[in-house]
Amino acid sequence: MIAAIDIRGVTKVYNPASNQPVKALDNVSLTINDNEFFTLLGPSGCGKTTLLRLIAGFEQVSGGAIMLFDEEIVNLEPNQRPINTVFQHYALFPHMTVADNVAFGLERLRKPRSEIDATVERVLTLVKMKELGDRRPNQLSGGQQQRVALARALAPSPKVLLLDEPLSALDLKLRQAMREELKQLQKETGITFVFVTHDQEEALAMSDRIAVMSNGEVQQIGGPTDIYEHPVNRFVADFIGDTNFLDGEIVSFDDDLVTCRIGVQSMFEAENSGGHSIGDKVTLFLRPEKITLSPPDQASNVKTRPGKVANIVYLGNQTAYTLDMGDGIELTAQARPREDGKLPFAMGDSLAVGFSARALRVLAQ
Amino acid sequence: MNLWLPKSAAGKRWLGLAPSYFIIGIFMLVPMVIMGVFSFLEPNPYGGVKPVGSLAAYVKLFFEYDLEDNLVFNPGYINIIFRSFQLSFGATLLCLVFGFPVAYYITLQPENRRNFYIYLITIPFWTNLLIRTFAWIIILGRGGVIETPLLAAGIIEDSLRMMYTDGAIAIGLTYSYLPLMVLPIYASLEKLDFRLLEAASDLYASRLEVMTKVVIPLCKPGIIAGCILVFIPCLGAFIAPNLLGGGKNLMLGSLVQFQFASARNWPFGAALSMLLLSAVVIMLIFYARAASKRASMEGSD
Ligand SMILES: Nc1ncnc2c1ncn2[C@@H]1O[C@H](COP(=O)(O)OP(=O)(O)O)[C@@H](O)[C@H]1O
Ligand SMILES: [Mg+2]
Repeated sequence: MIAAIDIRGVTKVYNPASNQPVKALDNVSLTINDNEFFTLLGPSGCGKTTLLRLIAGFEQVSGGAIMLFDEEIVNLEPNQRPINTVFQHYALFPHMTVADNVAFGLERLRKPRSEIDATVERVLTLVKMKELGDRRPNQLSGGQQQRVALARALAPSPKVLLLDEPLSALDLKLRQAMREELKQLQKETGITFVFVTHDQEEALAMSDRIAVMSNGEVQQIGGPTDIYEHPVNRFVADFIGDTNFLDGEIVSFDDDLVTCRIGVQSMFEAENSGGHSIGDKVTLFLRPEKITLSPPDQASNVKTRPGKVANIVYLGNQTAYTLDMGDGIELTAQARPREDGKLPFAMGDSLAVGFSARALRVLAQ
Repeated sequence: MNLWLPKSAAGKRWLGLAPSYFIIGIFMLVPMVIMGVFSFLEPNPYGGVKPVGSLAAYVKLFFEYDLEDNLVFNPGYINIIFRSFQLSFGATLLCLVFGFPVAYYITLQPENRRNFYIYLITIPFWTNLLIRTFAWIIILGRGGVIETPLLAAGIIEDSLRMMYTDGAIAIGLTYSYLPLMVLPIYASLEKLDFRLLEAASDLYASRLEVMTKVVIPLCKPGIIAGCILVFIPCLGAFIAPNLLGGGKNLMLGSLVQFQFASARNWPFGAALSMLLLSAVVIMLIFYARAASKRASMEGSD
């Protein structure tokens, strides 16, 4: 299969001639498949926007190649690339109506008027903005402007749609609704979406595949569950969701499990991902939701350890408990509130803390 | 308690604005009223006016007395007015053609350098316009900066006769008022969101289309303001027409100046000024109408 976009060893240095060059991307390679919802995820300043701008053609690569359906595009002007962008701040033309904004790309492509009108109507219907075609952008709410920006970028039927944090300016409820809609829109149109976000939840909820970036480098590429369950390094594990990290040393292993010493004398078993030897310094990670908490007398058959509630953070649907496990080890776990709304455990409670060895994974240092 | 201070909000607002009303009154309305009154009086041959009412000044705009003392139509002044509009229009167009790229270029510079360029644009204002216009005589004139090398190189054989032409006046006017075009265009370009240019090129607009479809429409207020700021003083200009047009190609401004300074016909000069003033006011009203219509169409920003 031909990749929609193939980024080959792309490097981008801003102000290369100055005394303060900024290396925004360092030898980035990744492949985005046709008809895929692909997400670039990473903290602010990691180079997501830069990569998007290189694909759109607003910036020139300092090295490497970008292929669009097997065709080299780095030397094409932005207006020569069949790629459209939904800008972070929408960048709607303030002097044009909504309909004129949406028609802009089609007019530049010299499409016949009848086709333009039909497409504008179809696309505005798609984003539920058909009634507001005569409005000006400044007469629209943020969410509506968002939809117009989307319609404007979709109207020329680009081969790839780039979206730079399109939801970041919306409030929470709207953001969640738009997630669904964007995903739906991608399926309906069959256009390859390259979506940029720093919000890991957004990325997990929407993407077919995710590239996690940090400091101008790609850390890991994979599906949402790959990235969440099998992060390749500490950065990815930490950036995607809440995590407990346990630093220690391998003392023994068999085919299934490795045993690590954490702290002075605590032994933890974890899934053996292979390639380890005794004495290796490793980091184990354990997601808080994989830990079960129960009063000591009600402990089920799972192997448990004693722990003491050291801190409580109330989150509404969940409560985060920090547990003192002794030996200088702390774990964060989650528990649902009881049906009467009261917290299940109180500060200082002694608990049975349970988790299976399969929930613990070894990370490369 | 200050009992003499107005209590109502409207009264207070009026009090706050009073200084500006006062200044506008003293420096604008009073002179204008004086001009209006003078235009309806009889000239005093030794300068000034005689306090005798007369429409002669306005009649003189369109008619003259022939040898038999009949009132006949005289297109002379109308022609001068027409020519003035033509030349002012040409100069405004030239200012726009040269001024827009300059303003655009400045906008593209890094922020710290922009102010420096704007400062450079205003430097000509530091020297007297009369002296700067004289410089153009040296540039354009017979044996001047342009002609001499061309003559020496044998490219031309005779003087180009650039001085004392409408072209020379247009160049002089363009030069005089170019900064008044650059500044308002720069002001509106500076507010332009340059991400819109990227959005346009992302949507398949060529460089030219980015200009014509996005940049120019969005800085139209600046362009219009610049055109008005150039066109109006061009109409009333007399230094460039007198020095570069040699006084034989009169413009409205030089005609007015001539009536006051040499011909000693103040009422006629005043009538010409009133004509100029009404033309300007009519144009501004049209502009204000168009602007408010556009504003209501686009909604408030
Ligand atoms: N035009 C520019 N000139 C210089 N440095 C830039 C420019 N644009 C971005 N950078 C730098 O490049 C890095 C990556 O920025 P960006 O791609 O915007 O990150 P992100 O979108 O992930 O937040 C940052 O360190 C940023 O400061
Ligand atoms: Mg960004």
